Amino acid sequence: MPRTPLRKALDVLAVFVVAIYLAPLYWITLTSIKPTKLINQKVPVWSFEPTWEHYFEAFGRFKFGHGLLNSLIIVVTATTITMLLAVFCSYALARMKLRGADTLSLVILSLRFLPGMVIILPYFMMFQRTGLMDTHIGMIIIYVGFGLPFAVWLLRSFFLDLPREIEEAARLDGLSWMAVIWRIILPISLPGIAVTAIFTFVFDWNELLFAMYLTQSHAVTAQIQVFKMVDLYNVLWGTISSAVIMQLIPVVIVVFLLQRHMIRGLALGAVK
Amino acid sequence: MTGVPSRENVGTAAVSSYPRRLPERRVALLLVTPTLVILFILSIYPLIWAGMMAFRVENLFNPAAGKWIGFRNFDFLLTKDQTFWKTMWLTGLWCTATVSIQLLLGYMLAVLLDSTMRGIGLLRTLIVIPVFISPVAMGLTWRFMYEPISGIINYLITSAGFARYTWHTMPESSLISLMITDIWQWTPFVTLILLAGMQGISTEVVEAARLDRVRGWTYTRRIVLPLIWPVVTVVVLLRLVDAIRVFDLAWVITRGGPGTSSLLASVNMYSQFQAGRLGIMAAYGFLLLIAINIVVVSFLRVLYRQEKETRRAAPAAA
Repeated sequence: MPRTPLRKALDVLAVFVVAIYLAPLYWITLTSIKPTKLINQKVPVWSFEPTWEHYFEAFGRFKFGHGLLNSLIIVVTATTITMLLAVFCSYALARMKLRGADTLSLVILSLRFLPGMVIILPYFMMFQRTGLMDTHIGMIIIYVGFGLPFAVWLLRSFFLDLPREIEEAARLDGLSWMAVIWRIILPISLPGIAVTAIFTFVFDWNELLFAMYLTQSHAVTAQIQVFKMVDLYNVLWGTISSAVIMQLIPVVIVVFLLQRHMIRGLALGAVK
Repeated sequence: MTGVPSRENVGTAAVSSYPRRLPERRVALLLVTPTLVILFILSIYPLIWAGMMAFRVENLFNPAAGKWIGFRNFDFLLTKDQTFWKTMWLTGLWCTATVSIQLLLGYMLAVLLDSTMRGIGLLRTLIVIPVFISPVAMGLTWRFMYEPISGIINYLITSAGFARYTWHTMPESSLISLMITDIWQWTPFVTLILLAGMQGISTEVVEAARLDRVRGWTYTRRIVLPLIWPVVTVVVLLRLVDAIRVFDLAWVITRGGPGTSSLLASVNMYSQFQAGRLGIMAAYGFLLLIAINIVVVSFLRVLYRQEKETRRAAPAAA
């Protein structure tokens, strides 16, 4: 495409717009290292001696490490289980002889659009009756169910793209289906699996509603802890922003890991 | 495709040479069963349960009081409850406003980022960060900026010579504050997907348009929009479904208040839960589900038709 003067002007504008777009994130980061007495000023303070006090306070007084660790345990375990189930399920749906595979895929996808608020009530009652309330296992189970529809659908779209010839040759050589999946499919679709896993991780990590109903203290997730800081201590914006930044770090890393695969995951495989 | 055996041939060959093996259909069934069982327990079964509760009186604080009451919950919501229609109206307004503005701004941003300059990849990555940020973090960041006295937004407004605005703390502006945050978070999502569509337009088409001196609005309307239309549908429907059921962001910033000024559907359901009126909450969820179903069914049909087309086109390309 020729670079016209208009395009050059638009490029400059693009850089500006992106910079302004990220200003709120810059502002909250700045707040997290700003001394408390400078935070709630009428006139924003831009230069100051940076301090880590808010981070120490988040870990010390608010036990934010507890929530981060809980989130990590719950989300990593849930993502692993989700992926194990999803790989086999979506392979069968994409490639194997299975009556009604397409309809089944659509039903699974439609579960992704279920509002959490509709099914939370039965979850809540099930958890009260079974003693799963406020446990890691309970949250892991819920997040597996929460992540599966997305993971199955996205992985299926990756499997549909693979050339059939390789598997057919492998089948002809006498490999069993499990061997085909483990030794042929998994290695060649590793990028797709990684992308799906990363998305599942982020969705679970950011989840608020289920954790709000189903955890109290023992299995409380990072999101809930951040949120509760506002409830109890409305003015401690320094500590709140430090917690916001800390729970944000894995997510930002993820964005850079995903790069060009982002679109596909966001559009549920409908756009590549 | 000649020379490559069809799937059926492969199947029979494998079965005949290895008689102990399970037939393909059986293996496939084994592979999907665990997922289906889990999804049944965690989605379908709760859904049926919630559906049944919609026809019962259920009190969170007095479980013994539960009994079947037919359609009375629905009757209450549709004819007697004053907040029901207000929340429906607010949710409708919310969906229309946020999705259309996101589409408009998202398209403009996509045009801006549809460039070949150096570092454009980095810009595209940076701008999409908000999409991945948790609603809690997003909501709190904006709540901090909306603060009436010390918030940076009011500082910027007043230093530009305008009067202080109330943002999330007043009934007349609370929903708008939520909308601004939602638009900020999700516009890059629209941008990214539209960009993918725009970059799928072949260079021949772009060149031909340039030679024919088709530009500006005519170029957008006659060439770009028709070609990216399938992508636009996907984006709109994905956004709509998320907009209808939005909860986290509204809960973090305004909790539906002040009063009922930003009481979106899901937030209202939560307040029913807090009041212990589980039957009403379930009935409300039932109605919300019907609304979502209408959107989702149309979405799936579009998506499915597109997928079928690409799958039909794939062997031809290979």
